[in-house]
Amino acid sequence: VSDEHHELPPDKHRLLVKAVKLEWFSIVYLISAVVLLYFALGSSQAMKAAWVEDILGLTPPIAFLIASRVRRRAPNRKFPYGYHRVTSVAYLCASVALLALGAFILYDSVSKLLKFEHPPIDLVKPIGDEPVWLGWLMLGALAYSTVPQVLLGRLKQPLAKGLHDKVLFADAEMNRADWMTGAAAMAGVVGIGLGLWWADSVAASIISLDIVRDGAGNLKVAVDDLMDKEPTVVDHSRADPLPRRVEHELRALDWVKDAEVRLREQGHVFIGEAFVVPTGDDDLVARIDRANQHLLDLDWRLHELVITPVPEIVRPDPGGQDGA
Amino acid sequence: MRNNRAMRSLLAAAVAVLLLAGCGIPRDPESTLDRVSGGTLRVGVTESDPWTRLDGEQPAGVEVELVRRFAGELGATVQWVQGSEADLIAALEVRELDLVVGGLTADTPWQAKAAITRSFATTRVVVAVPAGAPLPADIAGVRVAVEAGTDAAGVLEDKTDAVAVRVQDVTKVRNSAVAVDDWLLDRLALRDTGVHLSKSKHVMATPLGENAFLARLERFLIARQGEVPALLDAEDGS
Repeated sequence: VSDEHHELPPDKHRLLVKAVKLEWFSIVYLISAVVLLYFALGSSQAMKAAWVEDILGLTPPIAFLIASRVRRRAPNRKFPYGYHRVTSVAYLCASVALLALGAFILYDSVSKLLKFEHPPIDLVKPIGDEPVWLGWLMLGALAYSTVPQVLLGRLKQPLAKGLHDKVLFADAEMNRADWMTGAAAMAGVVGIGLGLWWADSVAASIISLDIVRDGAGNLKVAVDDLMDKEPTVVDHSRADPLPRRVEHELRALDWVKDAEVRLREQGHVFIGEAFVVPTGDDDLVARIDRANQHLLDLDWRLHELVITPVPEIVRPDPGGQDGA
Repeated sequence: MRNNRAMRSLLAAAVAVLLLAGCGIPRDPESTLDRVSGGTLRVGVTESDPWTRLDGEQPAGVEVELVRRFAGELGATVQWVQGSEADLIAALEVRELDLVVGGLTADTPWQAKAAITRSFATTRVVVAVPAGAPLPADIAGVRVAVEAGTDAAGVLEDKTDAVAVRVQDVTKVRNSAVAVDDWLLDRLALRDTGVHLSKSKHVMATPLGENAFLARLERFLIARQGEVPALLDAEDGS
């Protein structure tokens, strides 16, 4: 993580190095959890759902790591805008996978519930000669796959906010929400133990609903990003103030009568255009150049801005179709 | 944090439930183990020599004997029901039977309709030669007697270069290489050539989800699986 095309200032770069380490650790840990859960799957639907969620949990860290390598590449003739958007593409793929698998498990669990299927869990001999009910091992495997994820999520969230990285943020959120999956799956297994055959399918349905919700939410965000929707802050709670700030800065210049700015979010940087109505033609090229330098220094996320002088500004409809 | 508190209370609830339940886990949703203990064990049986034989007045065979001993442990009397595997599994699925035996193996296609036990015995069909004869280095071109109409005959034909000679009863073949169950080797004075045609892990079937009953049966099978070779030897092998 050095030379090449720098898009991060040094302090953010340190955050990125930390995030990359955390994501590598997440991948190694998640693989171990997936393997462990696989051996304790038995016939439990809830275990299967938790297992699939852990497998899918691998996609955000992988997307993040791939993106963190690829997006630093300089623009070239074939990709004149550079590679920032690779993050959005990775994000779209992950959310589609999440949605599809969640829907599949939901269907599977509900149909098992409707067919009154009673899940069998038998004995295993993990070590030595003493047979153990597999349910106990399931609970152990679930604890291993849950508790560290919640902690990892807490470590990742501030990094995601600092880096303005939505993939990392989504990953942190998924990790933090994993306690629910873990608890639901444990309740399902304990339910089977207590002779409540439906507990397992109900738990699996709850988990898969959560996966579907995650998938649908992330899909919407990914599509919004690819549609160049108005940039939002990292948790999507409100519009990012940067475009308006850039606009104000431009209007404050003495040679600018009116200005309008539109920015696109590409990965964690912004790229866009500013239209300005100049008071006159005096020294216009140098003025635009100075203004551009000044604006790019405003915020590290403002990566590229094209300032175009225009005779007047026609503003688009403020609300837009979905008004969000 | 809200999540934290929710997680902690859930964990506390889970621990409390486990402590209360103690060793009563797993339980049966339909109380099979409770009903069978000191009562009647309804067992579906289909013919599969030497595991189950239905030629006498009472069912016999290795699995029948295991079931009788299991019933003895539970203080239950066995009520035998004969039928095809499909009929018996269908009855098991709606819990009209408590157990189905009849040479079932771990790769049974009934997995979705019945809870299959751990395997209590593994048998192999092996290519063997008379104890006095030299072991062939390779069975390519060797004439091997194999029981007609068995999967071993097909495997021998398709997967090896031996010449399959189909016979009605391999135990009657003398002075030839034969494909037989490994538990018959000593009785027939044969030696294993190391060529194994098939492997069967023997299991029983119980109703889906009756986990206390299943666990009880598996504990019994784990404890008694050492007796299976002696039970096989007691069979006449015909």
